[in-house]
Amino acid sequence: MAWRHKRFRYRLVVWRCLNCGAFHHYETSICRRCRSNRIAEELLPSRAKLVTFTAVKNPPAGFESQAPYVVGIVEFEDGTRLLAGITDCDYEELKPSMELERVVRKLTQDGESGLIIYGYKFRPPIKKH
Amino acid sequence: MRKVFIAGVSVSKVEEHWSQSVDALVTKVVADLTDVRLRKIDGIFVASALAETLQNQGNLGAIVAEDLGLSGVPALRVEAGDASGAAALYTGYQSILSGISDIVLVVGVEKMSDASPEEAMFLSSLSERYDYVGYQGVTESSIAAMMYKVYLEKYELPQEMVAQFPVIMHENAAKAPHAQYQFKTTLENVLSSPVISPPLRRLETTAPADGAAAVLLCSQDFLPTIQHDQIVEIAGCATSTDIVFPFDREDPLKVSAASRAFEEALARAGVSRNEIKVLEIHDSYSILANLILESIGYSEPGKSGLDAKNGMYSQGGKPVINTFGGLKARGHPIGATGVYQAAEIYMQLTRLAGSCQVDGAQTGAMINLAGLGSAAYAFVMRGA
Repeated sequence: MAWRHKRFRYRLVVWRCLNCGAFHHYETSICRRCRSNRIAEELLPSRAKLVTFTAVKNPPAGFESQAPYVVGIVEFEDGTRLLAGITDCDYEELKPSMELERVVRKLTQDGESGLIIYGYKFRPPIKKH
Repeated sequence: MRKVFIAGVSVSKVEEHWSQSVDALVTKVVADLTDVRLRKIDGIFVASALAETLQNQGNLGAIVAEDLGLSGVPALRVEAGDASGAAALYTGYQSILSGISDIVLVVGVEKMSDASPEEAMFLSSLSERYDYVGYQGVTESSIAAMMYKVYLEKYELPQEMVAQFPVIMHENAAKAPHAQYQFKTTLENVLSSPVISPPLRRLETTAPADGAAAVLLCSQDFLPTIQHDQIVEIAGCATSTDIVFPFDREDPLKVSAASRAFEEALARAGVSRNEIKVLEIHDSYSILANLILESIGYSEPGKSGLDAKNGMYSQGGKPVINTFGGLKARGHPIGATGVYQAAEIYMQLTRLAGSCQVDGAQTGAMINLAGLGSAAYAFVMRGA
């Protein structure tokens, strides 16, 4: 099923309602907020700000080896909020409102020889010199 | 319009029933329902959230009908996540209201002990969208934790204002014979239990549990056959839904589905909020107790912790919440929970609540949620 969502998960393509502005992480022809059928694809920017975050210490099946891992809500410049894994940093380094950049990472694997599931995560940006 | 009544209830102790199957749990709890075998049941509604995953069993309607020697009777299974129990109750209620049925059996059952801890963690997140939440390894408890964090920050509150709710639940469950955790706990215990997802701690969540509960519903035509003081009227009920992911809602701290369902149920019952003496709320995470009580209008936003601290929601207050311990301490056998809640309100309104009895309980209500408020069911009930 993962391939079905590849445009959202790898590129952050979302579906925006042109009537009310609601975003959808899935392709749709009905806006979930206002039921408008005026929906357009949009590419979310690659930088966002951290709104809030926590850690998963009791992981679900398939994520045991990664725990504890950080998850959070990030917000883009236009106010769109997204649920995301936060990576490449310690929990203590994270502060609300800090800037993060998007990366694509392996999320989990479907069994030992099964499909590898990738998706977006956010990390503190690599500083430019 | 027809009226719908509860004529009897039965609950099993919430615990790990290793030796009993889903069928055995159901059969036992229904057998304990007073004189149910003498009655002509014309509808069976079975609530379970997870039977096909945990027990490889679908089609619970026909299976339970057979278990009860009632093959031939219309029977179906109802699933609405954690709210499956209330959804089955709602379906049974509608069936009587429509005139299609006169006596309906509503059974809720779940057997979580068949799951490993990792499986249980996965299954408890099943009410969220898998293609947005589950595939990332995000758990429902971690989303609840973020709501918790945002709540404490918004109202600048100490964690105690949320973490005291499990203490109240354990206080009530200590006297409840069917509760999973029949002991008291302290705020210190709650705040020193292991962190699940900061700031949420182990003792602020539920643990896997098995349980079954049954409620017998009837129309007014059958009232003469039931002892007067054992009748409770479902005076009003309603349900509502919401955007599934809390941070996609206008306000992640408002459980709008609960507020809409509760308002509607009160209006249909012609009962005011202040008349409710006992209230069952859906505290699958401590923070949901705060958010529900504020969303349905008992506490001002940010003030439910203070109200609780002042005793508003404990014995002697009004409304007394979760008089048998709620999801936290009575236990949360997912699909059965809503049926437990209804059974407990019935026990209160018929004076069958034993040492959990709240004096003067004439009117009660319950709120059962799916997930973190993506669906809510509210029932308002009146004693004889």
